[in-house]
Amino acid sequence: MTAKLRAPGWYRAALFILLGLAFSYALVGVVRTLMHYPDAWSDGNAITTVSLIAIPLFFLVGLGCFDYWFYYAAGRPTRAEDHSSHGATSWKAYFRVNTDHKVIGIQYICVSFFFMFLGGLIAMLMRAELAQPGMQFVDSATFNGLFSVHAALLIFLFVIPVFAGIANYVLPLMIGAPDMAFPRLNALSFWMLPMAGLLLTASFFAPGGAFASGWTAYAPLSTDMPLGQVFFTIGVQFAGASSIATALNFLVTIITMRAPGMSFFRMPLLVWANFSTSLLVVIATPFVAASQFFVLLDRALGFNFFDAFVGSGKNGSVLMYQHVFWFYSHPAVYIMMLPGFGIVSEVLSVKARKPIFGYRMMAFSLLAIVALGFTVWAHHMFVSGMQAWIRVPMMITTAIIAVPTGIKIFSWLATLWRGVLHLDTPMLFALGFLTTFTLGGISGVMLSMIPFDIYVSDTYFIVAHIHYVLFGGSLFTIFAGIYYWFPKMTGRMYDERLGKIHFWCTFVFFNVTFAPMHLLGLDGMPRRVADYAEQYATLNLLVTIASFALGLSMLVFLYNMVASWRGGPRAAANPWRALTLEWQVSSPPPIFNFDAVPTVVGGPYEYGVPGAVHGIFQSPTEAKPTPAGSVATSPTRE
Amino acid sequence: MEAVSSTAGLHHAGEAEHHHGPPAAHRSSRVDPQLLGMLLFIISEIMVFGAFFTAYFFIRVVDGNPWPAEGTELPKLIAGVNTAILLSSSITLHWALEAIRRGNRAAFKAGMATTFLLGATFLFVQINEYVHIGFAPSNSAQASVFYGLTGLHGAHVALGLMILLMVTVRAFRGHFSPEEHRGVEVPGIYWHFVDVMWVIVYCTVYLL
Ligand code: HEM
Ligand SMILES: [Cu+2]
Repeated sequence: MTAKLRAPGWYRAALFILLGLAFSYALVGVVRTLMHYPDAWSDGNAITTVSLIAIPLFFLVGLGCFDYWFYYAAGRPTRAEDHSSHGATSWKAYFRVNTDHKVIGIQYICVSFFFMFLGGLIAMLMRAELAQPGMQFVDSATFNGLFSVHAALLIFLFVIPVFAGIANYVLPLMIGAPDMAFPRLNALSFWMLPMAGLLLTASFFAPGGAFASGWTAYAPLSTDMPLGQVFFTIGVQFAGASSIATALNFLVTIITMRAPGMSFFRMPLLVWANFSTSLLVVIATPFVAASQFFVLLDRALGFNFFDAFVGSGKNGSVLMYQHVFWFYSHPAVYIMMLPGFGIVSEVLSVKARKPIFGYRMMAFSLLAIVALGFTVWAHHMFVSGMQAWIRVPMMITTAIIAVPTGIKIFSWLATLWRGVLHLDTPMLFALGFLTTFTLGGISGVMLSMIPFDIYVSDTYFIVAHIHYVLFGGSLFTIFAGIYYWFPKMTGRMYDERLGKIHFWCTFVFFNVTFAPMHLLGLDGMPRRVADYAEQYATLNLLVTIASFALGLSMLVFLYNMVASWRGGPRAAANPWRALTLEWQVSSPPPIFNFDAVPTVVGGPYEYGVPGAVHGIFQSPTEAKPTPAGSVATSPTRE
Repeated sequence: MEAVSSTAGLHHAGEAEHHHGPPAAHRSSRVDPQLLGMLLFIISEIMVFGAFFTAYFFIRVVDGNPWPAEGTELPKLIAGVNTAILLSSSITLHWALEAIRRGNRAAFKAGMATTFLLGATFLFVQINEYVHIGFAPSNSAQASVFYGLTGLHGAHVALGLMILLMVTVRAFRGHFSPEEHRGVEVPGIYWHFVDVMWVIVYCTVYLL
């Protein structure tokens, strides 16, 4: 038993959680005693706040994320077998600290889809409440909690990490690297995530209910919320730290570990997209961390960053919160979109059997979006009462940022032009993305116009915009990517018929759910409210019914994934006849990706160009490109 | 699989990213991965400070509040002396690095130990300043910004000290050599960053 408690793993993690609790209790008690505070040993708020920070950290230590570094720090010999286990031999390996980017990628994807389904269920609960005017199932405070947790989960625990997961899996393969640059940091970044998700979800059990200030957590609303808010404040810190660490890892991997011959302009666009996203994350995410630090300091240690009440004489500034928050969160919308652009570029080019149109422009427009993305944040604050002179410049930059986005849309269309389209599931989702994301982009440009924005501010029009870009945009690309790389990740083929059913149900019900919200918004129905006027009843009922159908169509996806993973037909190494490197190894790839580092001799998208090759392998006997249609054996999974 | 990974055996100085098992990756850039990682980390650290300076900017400049808050005084002189202490720790650290580059172990150990002690002194003086400064973060937004910025920096000093302690422990245990001293160099960059950041904090918060 003691051996189990000393070895890294779940037993030790459980023990450390208890230790973390004890530590927090003691720390709060001792400090409050020293400061001569009343009821030093029984202040629930303080103890909870401290343990929300301490328990995840203790958990990570217990699980073994830090063991190697502890050995290193102490100058002791670091034993490779500590926890550098690489690769998965059974499903149990996915529940351990594993340093293999392929295992971590799948861990990421599964965990984030878990939170996707959770967030989706919460959304359906909200739609049930909104089916009719008046109050049905939940009271308005609970409703506020529901939409806040819904948005926070789907943004911080689904869209951002699932892209990190997909890229974790395919990016090292695509650039011909055996792993990420810092495998242990990679494992640590992943394991912070379930903790963050648990915090956000657990806030429902806090006295006073879940945090109810929206995913934006504006101060001073958030500094006055009941305890549940702290779960958000701290949960976001862990999610943010995780994504910064991953982004840093991607950047170093891309810069230092490309295969010979893979110049920057021979990189697949997915790699470019993650390069740009990672830049955004490294630069912008610290701002959301800081904004939540401010809230935490105000709440826990009596700071006064946001006490702007004139009578109190504290001189706080609430606008400052919004500036800091949106300086992260506008770039964040591109953090949630650029990796999807990358996925769509891969899928469209392969499935249209054509070189991507304007490869360099595609890469440069990504960088342009990164740069411009930092100049538009205040378009979220047109009605906030900020200095009026900021508004027009922000309107102009916001309209300009649609230009690089437009370049991408037109390049994709030109890629499709006269292509030989293979309309299978990944392609359908990519095409669906083109349609819905363009609509979302158009409503975005409408919103950038100050007079229009003032009119629809805080109405369902915003909700429609958000969901056209995030659901119709990001989520569609995620589905495209998951279907596209499913054979590579699992070594199995998914069921094409179910995939198509899933696409058409999603596409139709998505539009029926969210298109009417534009009209509701224009009619003035406010967002984030549990009840509404009689006049909106008909459309809302329609939306609710469609949203339930949309939720049900996700079950088709779930079934397809689970059943195909367990019993689908074996996948060939290169079922799509793609050129990029990840398809030139078996499905799933061998444990260290490549037996010999490949050499890149051409661009990644030369489809339809006779005799074009992207990568060759130095020793052709060991790992020659597998011809399409052949059956590869799966070395790691059975 | 275990057999593959255990061949790596012992690991020494600076090999934080060691590859046991996977074939060595092709190096597509002359930049050292750990150095690059540290630089990127510093960029995001700068942004954290940037956000705190945004708070400073809004409360002091945009809202035009008096600085420091009425009836409070910032100990410019003591903090100035403290600045000198911190800056000299950068010099001793550089000296230690040069020493190990030349293979002078004794100077290396002395340099690391001095650096650590100077850093710890800085932190001690800082805490002492908090105790005697006469206002609390709850008094005003200006006070919050003061404690926020100096506290954030103090936290970085504490983190840097932990890393320096690691290096020092390893130094005294005989690690590092003229060929292999990346484990000194990379933490060193972080420490220099912490120092430079202090100069900016000192200038904006105390002097301006
Ligand atoms: C052509 C590109 C885009 C433009 C011009 C644009 C413009 C805008 C504007 C002006 C707002 C503020 C509306 C308001 O609160 O009054 C807004 C809100 C929002 N946008 Fe976009 N947008 C674009 C693309 C995107 C993308 C790609 C995403 C995410 C994938 C996104 C996600 C959001 C979100 C989440 C909000 C609402 C934030 C909130 O208040 O909760 N947008 N957009
Ligand atoms: Cu925005």
